[in-house]
Amino acid sequence: MLRYIIKRLISLIPVIIIVSIMLFALTKMMPGDPAKHMLNPGLKLEQYEAAYNAMRIKLGLDQSYFVQYFRWVGNTIQGEFGWSSLYNRPVKDAVAEPMQNTIILNILVIILDLALTIPVGIYCAVKRGSIFDRFWQVFSLATYSMPSFFVALSLIFFIALKLKLLPAGGMPITAYGKDFYYYTSWLKYMLLPAITLVIIGIAGTIRYVRNAMLDALNEDYIRTARSKGLSEKVVIYSHAFRNALIPISTIFIWTIFSLFSGAAITETIFAWNGLGRVLVKAVSNRDIQLVCTMNLFFSMLSIFSNFVADLTYGFIDPRIKLE
Amino acid sequence: MENKPVQENAARNSDLKKAGKSFASMLKRLFVREKDYMSILEEEALQTPGKTIMKNFFRQTLGVVGLVVFILVLCFSFIGSRLNPIDLTYVETSLRNIRPSQNFLNYPKELVREGVKQVSSGISFSLGLSEKGKVYVWGAEPSYIMENYSTPVLKIPQEVRDNEIVQVAAGDRFALALDAQGRLYGWGVNNFKQAEVPDALQMRLSRKKVAEILGGEQYAAVLFEDGEIFVWGCTMPNQLNKAVPEGIQGRIKKAVAAPMNVILLLDDGTVATIGIPSNTVATVPEELTDGSVNVVEIAASYRAVMALDDKGKLYAWGNMDHGVLDIPDYDGKVVAMDAGKNNFTMLLDTGKVVYWGADHFGQLKMPAGLEKQKVTQIYTDYFQNYAITEDGAIRAWGNKGFVFGTDEQGRDILTRIIHGGRISLTVGAIAVVIEVIIALIVGLSAGFFGGWLDNALMRLTDIFMSIPFLPIAITLSSIVVGKVSEMNRIYMIMVILGVLGWMGLARLVRAQILVEREKDFVLAARALGVKQKNIIVRHILPNVFNLVIVNITLGYAGSLLSEAGLSFLGFGVAPPTPSWGNMLTTAQSTAVIEYYWWRWVIPGLFVFIAALSINLVGDALREAMDPRASEK
Repeated sequence: MLRYIIKRLISLIPVIIIVSIMLFALTKMMPGDPAKHMLNPGLKLEQYEAAYNAMRIKLGLDQSYFVQYFRWVGNTIQGEFGWSSLYNRPVKDAVAEPMQNTIILNILVIILDLALTIPVGIYCAVKRGSIFDRFWQVFSLATYSMPSFFVALSLIFFIALKLKLLPAGGMPITAYGKDFYYYTSWLKYMLLPAITLVIIGIAGTIRYVRNAMLDALNEDYIRTARSKGLSEKVVIYSHAFRNALIPISTIFIWTIFSLFSGAAITETIFAWNGLGRVLVKAVSNRDIQLVCTMNLFFSMLSIFSNFVADLTYGFIDPRIKLE
Repeated sequence: MENKPVQENAARNSDLKKAGKSFASMLKRLFVREKDYMSILEEEALQTPGKTIMKNFFRQTLGVVGLVVFILVLCFSFIGSRLNPIDLTYVETSLRNIRPSQNFLNYPKELVREGVKQVSSGISFSLGLSEKGKVYVWGAEPSYIMENYSTPVLKIPQEVRDNEIVQVAAGDRFALALDAQGRLYGWGVNNFKQAEVPDALQMRLSRKKVAEILGGEQYAAVLFEDGEIFVWGCTMPNQLNKAVPEGIQGRIKKAVAAPMNVILLLDDGTVATIGIPSNTVATVPEELTDGSVNVVEIAASYRAVMALDDKGKLYAWGNMDHGVLDIPDYDGKVVAMDAGKNNFTMLLDTGKVVYWGADHFGQLKMPAGLEKQKVTQIYTDYFQNYAITEDGAIRAWGNKGFVFGTDEQGRDILTRIIHGGRISLTVGAIAVVIEVIIALIVGLSAGFFGGWLDNALMRLTDIFMSIPFLPIAITLSSIVVGKVSEMNRIYMIMVILGVLGWMGLARLVRAQILVEREKDFVLAARALGVKQKNIIVRHILPNVFNLVIVNITLGYAGSLLSEAGLSFLGFGVAPPTPSWGNMLTTAQSTAVIEYYWWRWVIPGLFVFIAALSINLVGDALREAMDPRASEK
């Protein structure tokens, strides 16, 4: 097992290196001058010239791309991500709060996702061809074709503006201190973006759960279990579902990781100060170092998620030998 | 290894020409039946795969519905954009945020029955006054949300209904009515208090009789019978708040409103203006001011003025945009004239109507049969024209309204949906083509050649797989901005979408080749002594291509949605070129979402319908190609 993990990790190294080179090239191609962004624009012309050159040297912009790349890699490994010109503080600090917001939102989305898709998926598979199954088939195809902004705007229109049940967007306010009301308001502000993300993601997940369950139900051991005279409940939940969990677990791992960057549109519409929204803002404001760090983070996350999905597969399914 | 010969053979067979030929014949065999003569039984047995798929496909209602809807959407965008060309530079901000409507010219029948006394139009609505003194209003509500103290212009106040009205006037987005007792009422957009009567005016109204009421651009004016004019509302930017000069006030016979000026006809037949003193409207021709000509009638469009003297001669001045100063030839004597925003209408003593100027909304498309009728009155305002014929009927032409409403710049959403569809559907299609080409090259060469090439290509796929789509697409798009022209930017979006989306299909193609290679029918073919080349081309590739076709359709829906998302965030197709995504960019504030819902519902629905219909087709195709799938 350990040998497999190490082997996989080693095979990831070239991927990580090539991805980092691509991201570095992308960053260098971005318009804007990082040295200029970091200077005080109020400086006088002659002071500005000197300060600009000093800043370029400090940032290492005067050196070759080759040197710059290794400097960047070195800094990144040491946790030194540079300066965000948009937030006017280190990238690390600028990203901390959005990261927390995104994670909180993701947890809610995953809980809602699990609570909805697994029962529905199982039920659809068991009652294959029923009206319930057909409804969810059509529903999932419809949500699969729906642009996320359309879902978000519709929810704002009906739930926030017409029924006035939830706020149309924004973040909880800390102005009155962190009392009980503050913590409940988190849920209030999170609910609409979370529902949006669930609706968008639900289509693929329900289909996936349903198909995984169907595959499991078609296995020989299910026939064996039934012929032993086990009750249908035991057959479905104890035999079929446990086996269907193997593919289901991978899709949930992917969902968790994809929510980090994939929620940019939803976060932007609901003004939820998460990573996706910060990324959109950073790119629009040409905050090169912030963009670079976030892209690197998202890429590493995606590599890591594939790695974790592979490993869980091996952990859960004893039939798969990880050699 | 059992499959070694396949690989070797394929590798040896690298002659491009040969490969191309066999590829073409494979495609042909997929869809066209071979021409060899066959007995009935043979023919029954040997249906071409393409035909089988078609048959299976058309058995599925949802798939057929999807196909029909998608073809309709295609026709709507591609044929529609030919029939309905777009002028990207034309904006008409006064028409902003108008809800879907087609009733701008739908005057009520009661008005005709009671006899038309007067018609006056605002930007999107018209007021009608009947001989009985009743006021009617029709059309659509102009944009008034978020303007202070405004009331809907389509809702006539109770006092106006209760009293006998003798004169009405429509401003751009408000309305005025004067009753028989000399009381003045106003309603509609009131952001400059143009729809309410100021105290100073109230005092005058109680003393003097009103000759004429005027609705201008966010300002209103009253002309009294003693020749005094009173202007209120938005009078700062157009300098109408300045006192009317001594020699003019008290001598005014008629006044017409332009946005920056009021043009006045004085009692000695000369023309004067108040308001901005230096613009082209205010530079009145000399003969009209020195008393050598006796002017009897004036009319003002947005930036041009016409005057008629007692000898029937016409004088025109102002800005010549839209050809408003090019008076056409006509036969007869002018008895009345009126002006829309950028067009003029004249009524001749023969009962004929002459008109010229801008034609953005069909202002110059006169209703059929009007030239045979004798017209007694004409009313032209903004984009609406009304002619009252001898027998009391109303004939209307001009802006009928907007089926899908207008956006924040007053652009017709229908036109933008049509042209946006053309862009969005094209971008999505080409992105998919790029995707499929890359996927096929990578997937096929990895699957067939195997070995180190397979390894290298799969690592490359891994690398691209680990690139998060949205962040990198946004970053790439921001790099492209400013470096290339608008059109090239659209091409770049296609490339970005294509390059970031091929990995899944490439893996599928490779996996499918590996799976098919091990199948029994391949073994059987080999046992029968079929050549390796033929096994690949006739037995393996057709099975791979089914997969590709299904994925093209599903991928098309995906890239349509991706483009919409990118454009929505402002990183896709750049305005003013419309795309279904970027039409929603400005529709993110809650006020727009709630009150101007058509601005996001309609483009959003079109993306949804297009994507859904493509997905339905893709789903049906998948089931048609793999009948086993439907058993699930």
